Amino acid sequence: MNFKNILSSLFTYTPKETYNFILLEKSNSKTSINHSEENILNTKKIFPTVSINLEYVKSKYNSMINSDIVIREFIINVRGKQYSAFLLYIDGMINTDIMNRFVIEPLMLRNKSNLFDGNHDRIISEAVANNITVRKVKKFNLPEYIMNCLMPQNTVKQYSEFEKIFNDVNSGNCALFIDTLDVAFDIEVKGFEKRGVEKPQNEIVVKGAHEAFVENIRTNTSLLRRSVHNENLIMENIEIGKITKTNCALCYIKNLANSDLVGEIRYRLNNLQIDSMLSGGQLEQLIVDSNFLSMPQIISTERPDKCTSYLLDGRIVILINGVPYGLIIPAILTDFLSSPDDKNMNTSFSNFIKFIRILAAGITLLLPGIYVAICSFHQELLPTDLLYSIIVSRENVPFPVILEILLLEISFELIREAGLRVPSPIGPTISIVGALVLGQAAVSAGIVSPILIIVVAITGIASFAVPDYSYSFHLRLYRFIFIFLGYCCGFLGIGLGLFVYISLLCNTNSFGIPYTSGISPFVYTPGHSYFLKPIWKRDLRSNYLNPKKERRQEKIAMKWKYPFSKEDDIK
Amino acid sequence: MTNTKISSIEAIMLILTIFVSHTIVSLPQNWISNQKSAIILNLIYVGIIAMLLVYVIYRLFKNFSSLDIVDISEYLGGKTLKNIIGGIFIGYFTISASILLREFCESLRVIFFPMTDVIYIIIPFVIAMFINNSVSFGSNVKTISIVLPLVLFSIVFLFFANFENFSFERMFPILGKGFFNTFILGLGNITAFGGISCIYFLPPFLKEPKEFKKICLTSIIIGLLYFIFCVSTILFMFSFFTEADEKLPLYFAARHIEFGVFFQRYESLFMLIWILEISCYLMVANRFSMNVFQKMTNLKNTKYLAFIFPIIIFGISLIPKNYAIIRFFEAQIYSYLILFIVFILSIGILIFANLKKKKERELNAS
Repeated sequence: MNFKNILSSLFTYTPKETYNFILLEKSNSKTSINHSEENILNTKKIFPTVSINLEYVKSKYNSMINSDIVIREFIINVRGKQYSAFLLYIDGMINTDIMNRFVIEPLMLRNKSNLFDGNHDRIISEAVANNITVRKVKKFNLPEYIMNCLMPQNTVKQYSEFEKIFNDVNSGNCALFIDTLDVAFDIEVKGFEKRGVEKPQNEIVVKGAHEAFVENIRTNTSLLRRSVHNENLIMENIEIGKITKTNCALCYIKNLANSDLVGEIRYRLNNLQIDSMLSGGQLEQLIVDSNFLSMPQIISTERPDKCTSYLLDGRIVILINGVPYGLIIPAILTDFLSSPDDKNMNTSFSNFIKFIRILAAGITLLLPGIYVAICSFHQELLPTDLLYSIIVSRENVPFPVILEILLLEISFELIREAGLRVPSPIGPTISIVGALVLGQAAVSAGIVSPILIIVVAITGIASFAVPDYSYSFHLRLYRFIFIFLGYCCGFLGIGLGLFVYISLLCNTNSFGIPYTSGISPFVYTPGHSYFLKPIWKRDLRSNYLNPKKERRQEKIAMKWKYPFSKEDDIK
Repeated sequence: MTNTKISSIEAIMLILTIFVSHTIVSLPQNWISNQKSAIILNLIYVGIIAMLLVYVIYRLFKNFSSLDIVDISEYLGGKTLKNIIGGIFIGYFTISASILLREFCESLRVIFFPMTDVIYIIIPFVIAMFINNSVSFGSNVKTISIVLPLVLFSIVFLFFANFENFSFERMFPILGKGFFNTFILGLGNITAFGGISCIYFLPPFLKEPKEFKKICLTSIIIGLLYFIFCVSTILFMFSFFTEADEKLPLYFAARHIEFGVFFQRYESLFMLIWILEISCYLMVANRFSMNVFQKMTNLKNTKYLAFIFPIIIFGISLIPKNYAIIRFFEAQIYSYLILFIVFILSIGILIFANLKKKKERELNAS
């Protein structure tokens, strides 16, 4: 021991052991499992003894450590007999008022019905023949009696398996277990806090409904049900996720949607082997066909009216509990350039806006690449004056055009991402700092040229004009490839890149429907064209969907205009 | 590929792709140098003959619905003839694709990349071929349906945008070098309709086989109109063009467009569209080669063929030492190749197959 150590041991405090937490990796050797315990925990059927059920529920829900699990034990009176019983529910998920008034009160309070100690068997019919009375007697059935007489509730189900009971308890129902019964009652007493229907946040329209989906699936189905207002609207319930058992509603109009399409979607949804399903984006990735371009193949919308419109076209909507979006299936390329407002406006206005959107998509994808290609290889394309001003503006920039544009494009993406992630009051500040200060400073510092700022700004604005977020993102991503191709080979690179892009686009299918339907071949497709016809001519549904009913409206939709004409006379 | 069915419009586009692609390079120039001012008349003449031939082909195919020329040759001469015909057509498709690719890339090199070796210009096309071969035939046809209208529009635009530069008197004398040259020697220009080769492979892919006649005739008519637009633009613009050794005559025609002040010179934009068209042609040639090869060998997995044929095309395209050899091949040999394979051999096989069929029927009846 040297002198320094002696001093430090005398005058400084050194803890003997420091606490270090290390998460051990799972060993490869098989750990011993208590099989008897596992068997108990995997029990499926409800036991006829309430005490065993109680123990099972307690262990399954870890009621000793789970603070919001409530198990209310009590005695129930039925026809003068007393039975032990308990209620299982999750605090915060149920409506306490309903619970007290319509579940606990009828079960616990004594009344004439449950105090009656007469003959338990009920005579259904009686016949006398040759002085012999024949009676048809129905034996007293306790579960039936409880269900019919002691539960003034609109939705009560009877299950014999724990799994179903637990599933509904997790959704906000309560379960009633009674001694001697090998069934339990599932009583709907949901009452958790939820968001009310509000205005859409991301898909704002000028002329249209101002309602958006919320997180609660039942509210969402009611929104659809209200707008479709037809008994043929089917909402199939499908559970996804082994752990979360997320409720999904497969919605379609029975006499419109193609049965094969419905069957295919149902098949895909029913064959998902996942633990959890928490968002529409996850589900979208799980059920679509793989495509190299990562094109969106499902429309995600927060607008019930948009879903209704597509349902009436013969498409299918998936609603997911906890997700304020509906997924519309299938979707083709032109759907991502359409807005719900298109059908609300005058046809000429809509078509003009639709044309602008095509332009926006083209600009988003190609403009930076074309700029790079022109600067690097095809200067002859530009008018001399413009070329001169570009050269002058680039005079002080020390970087090659590829570096310059990548710098600015990535900065733009950074600003966009930062604007999305920061708290909303700071959002505009980020935009101002990014757009004005950074842009201006970059030009002054000679890092980028002013003309490039214009190119990037136009590209950015154009990307915002694309109505669908996923499609816009796809275009933003692929523009980097075109920038690279433009820099490497000019129009040769862009041409070949575009060709491969179109080819891959044409190879994409959305649930069996070609993604470029209506575009390739560019001919009239009954019921579908990107540009809208006048509303009185939109009499057919999209034929690529192969709907059960082709006609959307009568040939003469405005009957008031031709009240005495036969349909065939007007073309 | 055989499971994919295409609509009538897609089939027309497919045939037109083969017509159009060679006009982008030096084909119109060859025509004009042979026929001089009689080229328009000559094209109308060969167009009518092509229509008659196509009608004959349609009639000959009638007894063999949903069979292509390779299947018919198998019917006629067994597997040996099938393999011979298949091999000839694979050779035809790969050689024509290679020559076109090399010629176009040589032109691109001269115009845009003078410092680059041509091999580096060919490689991106080969990569594009790899990718396009790995997608379905249906999507290939859909791609063509998107690209081809653009190409057709570009030629119509080129014609009208250059209208003020035209000297219509250049179409005189209307018979050019004389009657014999226009109508007898000029018959060789029927090779312009070499796209008919595609027709021999179409029947199994048609959604509506009844439309076969309509498809053939419509594509010939549109092709003829397209050719007239092409040669008219060059003929009316360049007086001594036939003497000049210019590459891509349509490209140089595009150079003269003065249409507002938005663009100084438009030819690069045209080039962008024509690159798409050339890629379409390469895609079609690859597809048909793969299809024929698959039929010959009964291959189930065509995954590797997607790589083999582009490599073969790449290899062949590098064989000619310079541009002059390619021009020589195109002007002197290639046209005879088309004439033999598309118009003599294939029609001959169809005729003999029909005779065999007739004989079989007679035997069965007796």
